[in-house]
Amino acid sequence: MTHDCPYCDRTFVQESYRDLHLGHRHEGRLTTRERAAFERAYEREEDDLTLFRYKALGLLVLVYFGFLLAYAVSL
Amino acid sequence: MTDSRRRWWRVFCSSLAALSATVAFVGQVLAHSGSLGANAGRGVAVPTWLFLATGGGVVGVSFVLSSLATDREFLRYVHEYRRTVGTTRHDLLVGLGRAVGLLGLVVVLATGFLAGRSEFPVALLADVPTDPLRNAAILLVWGGWWAGLAMSSYLVGNGWPVLNPFRTIVGWLPSLDRDLPVDGGWVATVGLLTLIWVEVVSPLADAAQLLATAVTLYGVVTVLGGVVVGDDYFTEYDPVARVFDAYGRVAPLTVEDGRLKLRSPGAGLQTPWVDSTGDIAFVVALLWGTTYDGLVATAPWADFARAVVGLGVPPVFLYPLVLAVGFAAFLGVYLLSVRYGRRIADTTLDSAELAARFAPSLLAIAAGYHVAHYLGYFLNLVPALANALANPLSPGQAFVFAIPGWFGLASLTFVIAGHVLAVWVAHGVGYELFPSRIQAVRSQYLLTLVMMFYTMTSLWIVSRPYEAPPFL
Repeated sequence: MTHDCPYCDRTFVQESYRDLHLGHRHEGRLTTRERAAFERAYEREEDDLTLFRYKALGLLVLVYFGFLLAYAVSL
Repeated sequence: MTDSRRRWWRVFCSSLAALSATVAFVGQVLAHSGSLGANAGRGVAVPTWLFLATGGGVVGVSFVLSSLATDREFLRYVHEYRRTVGTTRHDLLVGLGRAVGLLGLVVVLATGFLAGRSEFPVALLADVPTDPLRNAAILLVWGGWWAGLAMSSYLVGNGWPVLNPFRTIVGWLPSLDRDLPVDGGWVATVGLLTLIWVEVVSPLADAAQLLATAVTLYGVVTVLGGVVVGDDYFTEYDPVARVFDAYGRVAPLTVEDGRLKLRSPGAGLQTPWVDSTGDIAFVVALLWGTTYDGLVATAPWADFARAVVGLGVPPVFLYPLVLAVGFAAFLGVYLLSVRYGRRIADTTLDSAELAARFAPSLLAIAAGYHVAHYLGYFLNLVPALANALANPLSPGQAFVFAIPGWFGLASLTFVIAGHVLAVWVAHGVGYELFPSRIQAVRSQYLLTLVMMFYTMTSLWIVSRPYEAPPFL
């Protein structure tokens, strides 16, 4: 089951991807409903990104201290 | 010539070791709270695995950092930024460029074929030296063209379409304007791999007459191809022109609508231009060629080659076989990483399109390695090149620049810069392809792993001491 874009031939696995695509690529011709859906999807994406940023930061810290220890132990 | 290249290789490798030692030193200082006295005079060496892991780590971290750039507007601005520098409709300049290219070809052929012909009846032409450091053909092809011009094509902009003497000659001849029944990308790929093979197994960098013969052969094939296909031969089929074209897309200067424009580095790699499997194969072949060139000059390769020949494989087949197998492996790994990356990205776009869009990012890596290999080599040879060009038929005493040891560190920076640029380009492409930013990041997980693996392989190769390839 895919979600089609009504204005071009792109298809999407998730509804939120299509809503985001509409907002980014067809901004000028959106209906009120499509605009609302885009804004909802965008807000949810922001939340996901915040979580992703914490994970990325954690990974950076891990890599940094991992290498610090690796150099300390092996030299 | 080969000697000077080897010497340069050694400087590069020892600087690599020096950088590892520096990193190790920092690690040690941190670990021992700066007890410098206790460690003074004791050599520090980083174990190979840690050195390689650090290289891979740098690439991985640059991926994580670039994934934090989530502002679509900013990414689009960087990609689309153009500043008009001037117009290219200078017929005089183009004509001058073509004349320089033709003159270069004449010099290469004359000093190549006349090298060492002291019995030649015309006194003026009987004094062309065979010494690679004084022969204009060898210096112009390897130092001026393959090192200097190739570097300028990705650091500044691609001038080869104008300079290319064969293209100028084809322009004068009538054309049949036929389409060949084969994919241009694959023809160029096979051509490129053949050129790499010839360069590795033959003493082209030492023997001027052989080099002139090779240039003549290549020229005949190219002009014939140009006559049959027309000017499209150079954008579709000719491996050399396509190498310069591919490198030119990394460059900050480009020609759009007849105007010379400045763009941000790597912006040309984000624009879609790869449109067949053959084109992808060509990009991978360019990358694999650089790796192969270094690989055959290592001790583990020499051991491997002797073992395989000991099993009964004729040495003649060994080099092309490994070239082909390695290329297939590189291409396979890239296509697989895209196919599985597609699943992680949760998209309906097909693998072929994703592979085509992400392939150009690999060119930044290829350019990074090229500049690391050739910048020192080029600077080293500049005085010899100028000397040979001042009087190609009877050059004076040649001298070269001594490259300081720290220069190898600068080369390492180029290798890493190439990878970081590649990661950045892939990030931008992901944002263009996927509506969700999380999707864009996910689509690059596997590709980044492949890049890290590739960094480690290359660092392993360049950190091995030089050993002459056996059976050549």
